[in-house]
This record gives sequence, structure tokens and C-alpha cells, in this order.
Amino acid sequence: MKYWAILGIAARQALAARGGLLGRLLFFWALMTIFSQLWIAVGPEYAVNYTWYLGITELVALGVPQIYIGIEQDVRRGDIAYRIGRPISYVGSKIVEGAGEFAVRFAVLATFGMAGTWLLCGQLPAEPWSLAFAIPLAFMAGLLMLILQALIGLSAFWLQDAAPVYWIVQKLLFIFGGLMIPLSVYPGWLHDIADATPFSAMLYGCGRLVLDFDPALAVDTAWRLAAWAVLLLGLLILVYRRSLTALTVNGG
Amino acid sequence: MSIEVENLRKVFQVREGSRGLGGSLRGLIRPQRREVVAVDGLSFSIAAGERVAFVGPNGAGKSTTIKMLTGILHPTSGSIRVLGLEPSRERKQLAYKVGTVFGQRTQLWYHLPARDTFDLLRYVYDLDGDTYARRRDELVEMFAIGDLISKPVRQLSLGERMRCEIVASLLPAPSVLFLDEPTIGLDVTAKATLRDLIHQLSVRDGSTVLLTSHDTGDMERVCDRVIVINHGAPLLDEPVAELRTHYIRRKVVTLMTADATVEVDLPGVTTTSHVPHRTVLEVDVEQTPVEAVVQAAMRATRLRDLTVEDPPMEEIVQAIYAQAGSKP
Repeated sequence: MKYWAILGIAARQALAARGGLLGRLLFFWALMTIFSQLWIAVGPEYAVNYTWYLGITELVALGVPQIYIGIEQDVRRGDIAYRIGRPISYVGSKIVEGAGEFAVRFAVLATFGMAGTWLLCGQLPAEPWSLAFAIPLAFMAGLLMLILQALIGLSAFWLQDAAPVYWIVQKLLFIFGGLMIPLSVYPGWLHDIADATPFSAMLYGCGRLVLDFDPALAVDTAWRLAAWAVLLLGLLILVYRRSLTALTVNGG
Repeated sequence: MSIEVENLRKVFQVREGSRGLGGSLRGLIRPQRREVVAVDGLSFSIAAGERVAFVGPNGAGKSTTIKMLTGILHPTSGSIRVLGLEPSRERKQLAYKVGTVFGQRTQLWYHLPARDTFDLLRYVYDLDGDTYARRRDELVEMFAIGDLISKPVRQLSLGERMRCEIVASLLPAPSVLFLDEPTIGLDVTAKATLRDLIHQLSVRDGSTVLLTSHDTGDMERVCDRVIVINHGAPLLDEPVAELRTHYIRRKVVTLMTADATVEVDLPGVTTTSHVPHRTVLEVDVEQTPVEAVVQAAMRATRLRDLTVEDPPMEEIVQAIYAQAGSKP
């Protein structure tokens, strides 16, 4: 119940910050417009599918709030010491706060952003039902990104500055996730490397469904996202415990 | 007893910076550390319902002690019991029973009305609906924030926000309230209001208050007893009234006057600075009360404004040291 309440208040806070939501939506539309025109210029036969692909991957890339910043600031300013003194998990509440904000952003982008993508493409993907699988999977991918960001934020305990770590992870997400170009276009060896990371499932795993829909692929992506979530959650618990030890013994 | 602290000690390991590039590289491989004693042999106990000021200059160990009392930091040695619980082992259970206010650290949601944060805290602290609503309404009335709790927090002044912060901390009806610099950054009126409210509420609920502050006024207006520490060790533990008599003899009175100058010729009153229309006086209240100084100034000229300030905490600690040194 505590975490539901946090989810609710975070969603309300995200709704209250309307300017940020609108700016994000405008940026999404601008990006889709530019890339749809680019795909038309490069290869009109791919333009519709690749624009829809980008629409799905950008749902994750643009929708997930940067919760690592709040965690990093709490660590650097020492506020984390005060926040752990509440009857609730600090890192759990941060992820749930992020999930609440993400849910609102995602709903806006998945509704109005996707409507804009439809207008730009003039048609739905070849298999319209693929969207009913790709969009919920993109939401799952966003939740996985929140876990990853919590880990990045806690790295401030050792590194002070988590921004460079986030910067690297974000670039890896764009490259190994196939943000703009599907991994199927990558050379085989690079595709294999990408598949060994969580990023492939987070972006390509969701986006590929609008290119070549197969329910088995959706199930495969869901499993991979769930497996990475379990793995990263386990790692997060370990890192969080070590952080708390550092904090309670030596003040962080 | 609400709080029992015995021979408390906290030592931090601090990484030392090395000089030059070579030193920095060596520091990466084999960091040099030194020990810093933040709290050293502190013992005290606080009865239920007592209001105690925990004061000292910067680096005295106040915040470190409060963090240990709330379970955020683990002591190096010594023992702590807060409401019968050991904070370092039972932090979560303790969190339901103590309230904390750390000045300039907010728990209110910035874009939302304070009421939404209050509603969230109901769930965080597992309060049942009726108890929560009753407590919230009582506190809202007492702190006169009925008009404020529906406005987004970003639209509130610092003083208004601090009143909402304190209400948020008091919602779970804590038996012990830790206040760390609760009036920092507030204007004179907001400080006075907040001090009165904290005092009234503690008297009404019988809650224990442990307050740390640099502001002598916080200590004088909220607390009955004061513990002064310096360099992590206890220096003094006595009723605030005695501390006032022994050490807070001086007040600083600033007069903004209609005339360019004002002369106040009374025993124990000296002019410490003067610019046209603004005169700062130092008053030894044992020789002349502040009231008499103000009356004399009002007879001499028309006052546009007036402030009365306590001496800074550092000065009081120095006076305590000086007195301790003069004792046989």
C-alpha cells in the first residue's frame, strides 16, 4: 500500500508539471518528423516500418525519468542519511517514484506520440496488432531502465559523480539497443554482442515487433526483460546493502 | 526515560588527499586514511516530555549524535536507547515512533499541495484513516495552515513551507521529535511562530523534543534544558534558565531611527556601530534590561524599526570555556 501511494503521488506530480510533459511530446514529434523524412529520403520502402520502430524505441528512451540524478544528489548532499530514517525502503521508493512519473509520461507519449507517428506514416504498422504487444513491452523495458538507473545513482557512493556512468550506459543503450536502426541490420558479431546485454531486449526486442510481428518474439522479449530485471534487482539489493553499510558506519 | 546515551563515541575514517600527481596516483592504489573523532564519551539521559536543546559550534558533533539517535549512523562504541529501542539495530521500528525535522531538507512534494504529502505519510506510517484525519485536522488548525495545504508547495514562502514540514513530521504522533536547525533561513516572525508552536505541541502531547540549533533563540524559547557539546564531548548540562543567567548576558539591539543619530546613555549599553539612521547597541542585560534601552531610544527619537538578537552560539561556548577555565 505504501508503494502504491508513492506511485500515485509521483504520477500526480508528473501531471502537475505539464510544461515538461508537453515539451517531451513536442520533442518526440520533432524527432519522428525528422527521421520519417530521413527514411523516406534513404529508402521509401522501409520508411513506414522504420518510423514505427523508432516510435516504439523512443517511448523507452524519452519516457524514462532520470531517477539517477535524484539518488546521486541525495548521496552527494548527504540527504540519503535522512531519507533512510523512514519506515520505507529508500531505493524502493525511488524506483516507485520513477515508475509513477514514467507511467504518466509513457501514457502521454503512447497516446499522442503514437497518434502523431500514425499521422506521419499515414498508416499503421503492417501488423497493427503488433502495437498491442510492443507498447506494454516498452513499458516493461522502461521499468528495467529504472532499476539500472538506481544502480547508476548508487555508484555515487564510490564515484561521487554518477553522470559519466549514466552517459556511458545511455550510449550503450542507444548502440546495443538499436535505438534508430534495428539490430537485424547490424553485422552478425555486433548483433551477438548486443544480445548479450539488457539493452537489446529493452529497445530492439520491443521495436522489432512492428517490423516482423510474431507472438513468439513478444514472449521471448518478455522473458528476457524479466530475466534481466531479476538479475539487476539482485545486483541492486547487493549494492544498496553495501551502500547502507558505508553510510551507517562512516557516514557515506 | 525517552533517551539514554552512555559513553557514546563515533570515529570516522577520513580519506586524506595527497599532494601532486604522484600523490594522487598513490592515493588511488593505497589511499591514506586518518581517524576523526566526531563524538567522544557523550552520556546523557532525557525523560519523557523533556525539551532539550543540544547545542554547540560547527563540528561539535551535534548532527552526528542525532544521526546515531535515529539509527542513521552506527556508534563506534557506547550505547543508545531511544524509547527502549536500540536505533542501530531497530531503525525501522524506531522510525514509526520518532519524528524528524531537518532544516532545509524537505519531504514535501514540490509541485503538489502539502495535503497530498500528508495523505502519502498516512500510508508510509500505516495510520488508520480516522486517526490520520483527526490528527491532520488538529495540526492544520494549530499551525494555521488551512489556507496553505491546498496550494502547490512551490508557491509557499519558506516560513509557510517549514510549518507544513513540521506538521508532516508530527502526523504520526511521534513520542520523540528530533529537530535539527528547524528555523534556519527563516525571518524573525516565522522563527517566533514556529518556536511557539513546537513548544505548545510538545506540552500538549507530552512529546520529548531534542533540538539542535546555532540560534540561541530556538534554545531559549523551545527548551527547558540545554546540553552544550564541543569537539564531541559534553561541556555543560543545565536548565536553560541557568544558562541564560550565567552566559547570555548580552543582547544586540539594532535601532532604525527617524533622526540620523540616537544617544542611549545607560549603564552597560555601548554603541558598536553607527551609520546615519541605523545604530547597533550592545546591551549587558544584567545592568540594563532591553526594555529600558528601547524606552530610552523612543524618548530620544522616533523608531522606524528595531531588532533584538542573542549573541551567537560560538560566543556562548567561548564564555562557558572561559568560565570553566577560571574555576579552580
